[in-house]
Amino acid sequence: MDLSRKALLSLVAVSLVGLVGLPDWASAASTLDTVKQRGKIIVGVKADFPPFGYVDSAGKNLGFDVDVAHLFAQALFNDPGKVEFVAVTSGNRIPFLQTEKIDIIIATVTITEERAKVVQFSDPYFLSGSLLLVKKDSPIRGVEDLAGKTAAVIQGAIQDQDLADLAPRANRLKFGKVSEAVLAVKGGRAEAFAQDDILILTLAKENPDLKAVGKPFRPRPYGIAVRKGDTEFIGWVNAQLVRMKADGTYDKLWKKYFADVEASLVKP
Amino acid sequence: MAAFSFDWNAIRSGLPYLLQGAGLTVFIAGVAMLLALGVGMAIAILSQVPARAVRGLVRAYVEVFRNTPLLIQIFIVYFGLPQLGLRLSPFLSGLSALVLYTAAYNAEIFRAGLEAVPKGQHEAARSTGLSALQTLRHVIIPQAVRISFPALGNNLVSLIKNTSLVSVIGMVDLMFVANDISFNNFRTFEIYATTAVLYVLLVLGLTRVLNATERRMLRLR
Repeated sequence: MDLSRKALLSLVAVSLVGLVGLPDWASAASTLDTVKQRGKIIVGVKADFPPFGYVDSAGKNLGFDVDVAHLFAQALFNDPGKVEFVAVTSGNRIPFLQTEKIDIIIATVTITEERAKVVQFSDPYFLSGSLLLVKKDSPIRGVEDLAGKTAAVIQGAIQDQDLADLAPRANRLKFGKVSEAVLAVKGGRAEAFAQDDILILTLAKENPDLKAVGKPFRPRPYGIAVRKGDTEFIGWVNAQLVRMKADGTYDKLWKKYFADVEASLVKP
Repeated sequence: MAAFSFDWNAIRSGLPYLLQGAGLTVFIAGVAMLLALGVGMAIAILSQVPARAVRGLVRAYVEVFRNTPLLIQIFIVYFGLPQLGLRLSPFLSGLSALVLYTAAYNAEIFRAGLEAVPKGQHEAARSTGLSALQTLRHVIIPQAVRISFPALGNNLVSLIKNTSLVSVIGMVDLMFVANDISFNNFRTFEIYATTAVLYVLLVLGLTRVLNATERRMLRLR
């Protein structure tokens, strides 16, 4: 026991150091300068969220958000290839940004009040409600049918809280990744999977044994996020978004990725 | 980036939920521990029988479960087996993967313990008229358990930490709760540090129990 008591003491000591104050890492420089100096931009994107961020069988990142990242690299370095992708999930993307593992999140982040307290959001670039993914023969037709049922959600995604409000009697089963939630529905572990409309529509199209149901609930905008207080970088991002909308690039991307599910989307 | 300031409130508001998660961790670890000890012992004894087919099967079990990541085993039981028609609850999925994995290690430790009992003990016991089973039960196993004990203790400590993997299948254990809280309040350092402290306390608690048991066994000798 003597040894473990010592271990406990040192643990307490380490935590105290943490409390008294870690070195101040604050730096006045914008991430934009760091990125320019480095010669490439490190972007957090989804790898399991078609059509915004996904990976083909060769491991190449594709999707709307991925194309936006390439456009940013083009604007910064005149080379769309000067970008490094880091796969993030709804749960870990903000910690990745906070700990400077990535420069920017372009990963279907819904703008919420809580998140705006810890990151700097760009202007909205997409509007998404939420839908349910269910088995083809499921009697569930919307959130109102979820009482007493098990619904899969992604840990850290907004639907976790949304279902707590809209379907308090549903049992929420939380997963880290989209693929796991889809498997849970296919395997009968969950009767529905609640996520952003665009993802659910795409998944329903790709999986003939599943379908999308419900009216898109709680539509909210997506934003690109950088570290809190980095107004210079977010100003640059917003200018890029304005330019993309003005010169038709945004419309081109919209057609490329959303053409076949467009009718069911909430257009901004 | 703003200067880091430690947020006690994040811990205060998260602690009840964390403790609830720790409760499940203790429960699943406790049940898995007892089962893994039993299964491990049974497997180890089977590894000593003369029938080659049985020993082959035991060998195969140990090698498969010891040489694959626990995470893969959890995924196979939870996501894979339903496709074959066997759908265990999340709890049973996590539990059975933990038991099978830990028992494979326990079996090797017990086997080494059984083989470390001097041959003379066996011969002496038989010559006093004990049957083969009685010899095993009253002479060989008690000594083997004593020999295996320290190594088994390490394995049980690993088991407590390994339970954190069941969080990936939606089990609301300590690790799951830590993710759940920090993904929503973004106080990553505070929450994970608190979680680490809770794991330390759990393991220290287990170590106390194990030490007491070992002392008692030594007194009995």
